[in-house]
Amino acid sequence: MVAALTRRFGDLDIAEEAAAEAFATAVERWPADGVPPNPGAWLTTTANRKAIDRIRRENKRDGKQKEAQMVYDDDPPEPLGAIDDERLRLIFTCCHPALAMETRMALTLRMVGGLTVPEIARAFLVQETAMGQRITRAKAKIKAARIPYRVPSAEDLPARVSGVLAVLFLVFNEGYLATGPDTDPVRHDLTAEAIRLTRLIRALMPKDGEVAGLLALMLLSEARRSARVSASGELVTLDEQDRGAWDAALVAEGHRLVRERLASRVAPGRYQILAAINAVHTSVRDVRDTDWSQIVALYEQLARLDPSPIVALNRAIAVAELDGPEVALAAVDRLEDKLAGYHAYHATRADLLRRLGRSQESRAAYDKAIELAGNTAETAYLTRRRDQLA
Amino acid sequence: MQYLVSVIDDKTNSGTPDEMIAINAFNDRLVADGNWVFAGGLSDPSTATVIDNRGGEAVFTDGPFVESKEYLAGFWVMEAPDLDVALKLAAEGSKACNRKVEVRPFL
Repeated sequence: MVAALTRRFGDLDIAEEAAAEAFATAVERWPADGVPPNPGAWLTTTANRKAIDRIRRENKRDGKQKEAQMVYDDDPPEPLGAIDDERLRLIFTCCHPALAMETRMALTLRMVGGLTVPEIARAFLVQETAMGQRITRAKAKIKAARIPYRVPSAEDLPARVSGVLAVLFLVFNEGYLATGPDTDPVRHDLTAEAIRLTRLIRALMPKDGEVAGLLALMLLSEARRSARVSASGELVTLDEQDRGAWDAALVAEGHRLVRERLASRVAPGRYQILAAINAVHTSVRDVRDTDWSQIVALYEQLARLDPSPIVALNRAIAVAELDGPEVALAAVDRLEDKLAGYHAYHATRADLLRRLGRSQESRAAYDKAIELAGNTAETAYLTRRRDQLA
Repeated sequence: MQYLVSVIDDKTNSGTPDEMIAINAFNDRLVADGNWVFAGGLSDPSTATVIDNRGGEAVFTDGPFVESKEYLAGFWVMEAPDLDVALKLAAEGSKACNRKVEVRPFL
């Protein structure tokens, strides 16, 4: 509804407030008057009226703003399904390259995902007022600089879609490994919203390999969600997860997408390779059957596209299974300069040192990892592992 | 909708002959496509004079109102329907003049 109102009135603030006012009116009136026969249409009509009222009020208050803020909607009434088009337009506006990355994420969650400002502030560990200001500033920029409210033209679409995917991947990750001492370790609202929005993008661009790859990656991760955190709120690593608890339907859908990309014979991008790695992990019922050589090969392929130390770290974790912890530790230690502030670097070292029987060094590495980890389930897991050391 | 495209540099009048050819070609296209409003290069900030006539008597001060390493070395005012078009034109302008540029909408 916010998307449709934005399109009609060309203003995110007015759209948001009109929608909220319409819901408030409904809460007030429906219990007394009864629920109208078509509640959705009632809300839309009411919100439209509220928006027009508001614009009239503002125009009266400020003569200078007489230049109508309304962008007239000349199109005939939209058929069902057009709501998705509206959402897409809104996503592309929220993920515009003229906005900062954090702003794009926040705005997408607020405007498209419908999260509240306090929820978003918590997700990004910033003060509520600061997050409110960030979103207000972004909306003001969209309006003043006239960031268009539309799906980009075909020639711009690939570059703009990759920007949207980056935002959705970050939103998913924030949900999948939520940070913050009082935060649930997994924010299902964020992961579900990221998946839903990625499906929308896929409907727009069904042939785009990276869109399919990101969707597959999210599905294969989401499939393991319930097995990833124990009843006591502790992270369960891939090798210890109850694979029977994985969501078989999501795994099957993810595998289908990965196979579709393999069959295309087009060189895969980053998300497709990550999805393929997850497909290898999720294709065996017993961790001992995992094809580690294939996983190492995929990480090497990924490192050629993205030579980041984090990819090198993940490759080393797979190497530990293939060539043993000693070889892996040597590779991990080479990353110290770049990853000394990253908890997963220390957690990986701690695990490798533990497997090599170097308990004292392992303990120190666990301490460092616990200090840096922001996810409650991960902290609980690392603490138990450390305390189990001889 | 009009946008100010500022050319950011740490020197002025430093365009090479090749850059001037590219800038002129770009300007011709702005005119032909209806995006041209105005453009110009500016002298060094040290040639600026600040005037304050808020107190009844105009006070003149030598030099720019803010000292910085990089400054406005020139600008375009462009007409564009929205920011996407403005950004695309500004990207071409940046390439033509071989400098960093900033896009800012007029009120």
